[in-house]
Amino acid sequence: MTSDFLYRLDTSPRALVKLLPQVVRPPADVALQHIQSGTFQRSMSLLVMGTSAVSGLEVAYEHYRGSYSNPIMYTPVILSGVLSIAGAAAFFSRRMARTFLRYTSFLTVVDGLIGFGFHIRGVQRKPGGWRLPITNIVMGPPIFAPLLFGTSAYLGILASYLQREEDFGQQKIKLESAGNGLHKTDWREDIRTGRFQKHLCVVTAVGTLCSGGEAFYSHYKDNFKYRVQWSPLIVTPLLAGAALGAFASETCANTLLPLAAGAAILNGVAGTFYHVRGILSRPGGKKKPLYNTLYGPPIFAPLLFSAAGMLGMLAYLMRRERR
Amino acid sequence: MVHLGAMQKIKPPQRIFRDDEEVDYVIVGVGSAGGVLLQRLARAGFKVLGMEAGKFWDTERDWVSDEAGSHQLYWNDLRITGGEHPLALGSNNSGKGVGGGSVHWAAFTPRFHPSDFEVYTRDGVGADWPLSYEELEPYYELLEQEIPVAGPAWYPWGKPHGHPYAPHPMGGVGDVLIKGCTKLGIPVSAGGPVAILSASRGNRPHCIYRGFCIQACKVGAKASTLITHVPDALEHGAEVRDRSMVARISMRPDGRTDGVVYIDRDGRERFQRARAVIVSGYAIETPRLLLNSACPGHEHGLANSSGTLGKYLMAQAGNVVLGRFDELIRMYKAPPAHALTEEFYETDPKRDFARGFAIQTVGPLPIAFSKQMMAAKGLWGWSMRREMMEYNHWAALGLLGEILPWADNRVELAAERDQYGLRVAKVTFRLRDNDKKLIEFGKNKVMEVMHAAGAVEVVQESRYAHLVGAARMGKDPSTSVCDKFGRTWDIPNLFVMDGSVMPTQGSANPGLTIQALAARTADYLITQGDAIFNSASRDMTPPPVCRSLSPPDTFTSGAPHLR
Amino acid sequence: MSTERKPVTDPRTGEPLPQRAQPGYYSGFKTLSQQAFWDQATRDVVLRRVEYVPPIRFFNEQEAATMLAVVDRILPQEDRLPSTRIPLLPGLDERLFENRLEGYRYEDMPPDQEAYRIAARAFEAMAQELHGQSFHLLPTLQQEEILQSIHDGKPLAASQLWNRMNVERFWMLLVSDCCAAYYSHPWAWDEIGYGGPAYPRAYMRLTEGEPEPWEKGEQRYQWSPPADTLSGAAQPPAKGSAHQSHPGQAGTH
Repeated sequence: MTSDFLYRLDTSPRALVKLLPQVVRPPADVALQHIQSGTFQRSMSLLVMGTSAVSGLEVAYEHYRGSYSNPIMYTPVILSGVLSIAGAAAFFSRRMARTFLRYTSFLTVVDGLIGFGFHIRGVQRKPGGWRLPITNIVMGPPIFAPLLFGTSAYLGILASYLQREEDFGQQKIKLESAGNGLHKTDWREDIRTGRFQKHLCVVTAVGTLCSGGEAFYSHYKDNFKYRVQWSPLIVTPLLAGAALGAFASETCANTLLPLAAGAAILNGVAGTFYHVRGILSRPGGKKKPLYNTLYGPPIFAPLLFSAAGMLGMLAYLMRRERR
Repeated sequence: MVHLGAMQKIKPPQRIFRDDEEVDYVIVGVGSAGGVLLQRLARAGFKVLGMEAGKFWDTERDWVSDEAGSHQLYWNDLRITGGEHPLALGSNNSGKGVGGGSVHWAAFTPRFHPSDFEVYTRDGVGADWPLSYEELEPYYELLEQEIPVAGPAWYPWGKPHGHPYAPHPMGGVGDVLIKGCTKLGIPVSAGGPVAILSASRGNRPHCIYRGFCIQACKVGAKASTLITHVPDALEHGAEVRDRSMVARISMRPDGRTDGVVYIDRDGRERFQRARAVIVSGYAIETPRLLLNSACPGHEHGLANSSGTLGKYLMAQAGNVVLGRFDELIRMYKAPPAHALTEEFYETDPKRDFARGFAIQTVGPLPIAFSKQMMAAKGLWGWSMRREMMEYNHWAALGLLGEILPWADNRVELAAERDQYGLRVAKVTFRLRDNDKKLIEFGKNKVMEVMHAAGAVEVVQESRYAHLVGAARMGKDPSTSVCDKFGRTWDIPNLFVMDGSVMPTQGSANPGLTIQALAARTADYLITQGDAIFNSASRDMTPPPVCRSLSPPDTFTSGAPHLR
Repeated sequence: MSTERKPVTDPRTGEPLPQRAQPGYYSGFKTLSQQAFWDQATRDVVLRRVEYVPPIRFFNEQEAATMLAVVDRILPQEDRLPSTRIPLLPGLDERLFENRLEGYRYEDMPPDQEAYRIAARAFEAMAQELHGQSFHLLPTLQQEEILQSIHDGKPLAASQLWNRMNVERFWMLLVSDCCAAYYSHPWAWDEIGYGGPAYPRAYMRLTEGEPEPWEKGEQRYQWSPPADTLSGAAQPPAKGSAHQSHPGQAGTH
């Protein structure tokens, strides 16, 4: 019976890694063990450094497009830089990871939330305000961008609670945050030990919906001129659904989630290709690189979609919370 | 409450001066220059009154998003036009109402080039300015920040500089210009420089790309002195007396002016006392007022001992080149002004004429477009109906060519009188050889760009744009009306400050330069203080640039840019 | 109109095309459907234009009959159903009655009011002189021959009247006034696919001719002007004629 076969087919990361060819199996196995036991602070910090640099670049040019008309628009640019440095520092120092990276990440998330408020206000202040919701969301400040901007800070927070690679195998239980030992909060312990699949699923779903929302209205602005512009809108419900399903069911986390996450990652990569091509085919093409990057298809947007897929993939690799 | 754009509302709390109360300055005409002067002088604490022939607009009630309905923005009173190549007047070249022409300009704001200030020295034609580019440059920077100007971070022509606000996204016409120019290897500026907000500022929203710039911007995104400077002026105690037409400037026997005679909104003739008068009525109304103020001792008009008042009037060649494309363009979307090239601005020894031209986007709405089709293709009847059905396939580019100042291109008084009983202006215009060669070359270049962009049919219509000159500034009192600060040579407390003081015009739209000159003159007046009112001595030292008199929000918003 | 007017035709078959409520290539496009998203002042101005037809006050009866026939040839509307034709003369008459000016007058032209009175008489005089009949009763071709001669600046008759003005400038004034009346009307916007008022509505699809969600794409069809018209083809002006100067500056830079 096919269904019986499927039922018994184990697609958990631990099972799949065994199917890998001999050459890559050992490093993959090690990586997976580190991920599942929460000992990848240094790798995660590097990732934070990278993503933060990219989102800093993006917000710098997006806000340039908004002419830095309000000085507060500099804050995400500065914070991204600081967060990137914090990521690098956290790579080298455990202390930096637990202090500098953590506080910078929280601050950046707060900045993203404030930005979200400002972007909503920006839409509201456009002529016609919410009476013209579609036009004003499409033409106003990108409403979900500040939340997506928080993604790397969110990774930074995760990183700051993880154990370091060298801690692998040494089951240190000391809780750094619970100085007085009175309130031991479980989520931190879960992160420390690599048990945050469900939590990550929720974040994946939110990130996917925001990113998909952005894709929808930007492609709508473009009148869905190319059929491929619908693709992120097909993947969005898939991944958001899979992530929410994975929250409820481990089977879903081991099957649908990695498939949908993989699709989102690939879709984002393909999208980047199309966006670059779109920029080059604008009037002036390569002769107007800055202007066409500014007003062509947003070059980093598909990568944000990939980032949501990556979160989903990470969730797939994690262990589930005990509860 | 008066609406100034979609968000800004002001109470006109105005201070109202009595007629017999002697104000420090009466400014005649609250337009591009008048608005800036009013704001500066009020902030500096002077008693200042702006007289405006038109009304104080409420942008929500008075302005419409409609081509034919925007007729009232223009100076529609009678003028006579003639000469071998008569200028069309009215609509695009003079405004009426607070904000003046800045209410309906397309808001292209390129600076003049350094060469514009020494055309005679370099090319042996036209005239030199009594000031250099460097003297005006800080005011360009200041005004670009104040209004503010959106444009590329690197602007390569003239003295290279950047802009405080980011460039705009472009519409179909901008794409056509970029395509054509890049195909031909011509550098081109995308998305500016224009005085239109590419991001909100304070209580002025972002542009909504509806394409009605020259029908006045209800949004408040396009700068006009009505929304950028006048509110701040009122806040600081200035009065704007609208619907008040100044009939003549009153002279005392000692050769100084003591105020203006005007016709108020109820049609009564009144006299306003002032210690000094600044005329900012633009290139036709300014000389007309000075000529209409002729009195014993000034039989040929005020400030006309040189005989140059009304002369050296200039318009720019504004040929519109229209191209039909197989694909849809929809040129009614996005501001008409959003891309240009100044690659042909300077004198090129390889060409057989002096000076040059710019190529800019224009975006005529249906009525304007139909008139262009009539002129360019001789359409009427069924051919007009048919071509108009192709409206969305056409794109329009504008030539902006420098026409040199000639003494007999002039403003005089006609015999006819207007509704106030004042003699109307008569404008005479004729192109010379250099102008004709420039237009021919420029027009062909624009047509080449249009073809390169892929147009399947290209036609053109001859016309003019902008008006400047007719009360020019200079170094020599015998060949000019006023000095480099706009102070008339003949009357120490009478100033001219608007586009009419320009000795030459370059091929840049004059709006920004007019405002920069006005800000500079304001600094001069503030520095001179009471000497303007009491003394006839003429201090020619340039004033220090005053950055503390700018309207609010000037320095708190805007991207870092190259200065 | 008492005279029969020929219809527009299908160029492939030569068959007459039926009259349409809305000619043009944007079938189903209605700018007025967006009026809820216009501002009040604009709505007032545009709706007045649609709903209110001002009475004829400037032209007398005879002049009005002549000028009605003239403007019907300047912008013919026989392809429209009679109920959706855009009235042109009342707007022109209102402008002249109120003496609304463009802000200038050419020195070789009489004031607008006078120019139109002379022209109305001259058109009628030409018709009588050439055909012994009133202008408004002439068949299309004969009316258009008269108009064509004014377009060309060489009036076929009534030269003592036409001598009182620059004929080419008058032609441009006339065509401009007719175009201003026609293309300021929402029905004409629908015909040519122009978006109309846009505040606070705004545009979001700025390039590549993409329609807004409420606009329509182009649906072209072929049509030919009626067989008996002279105005079906472009007539580029000769170099140096008055057409190469400026019919009023509204609309560009």
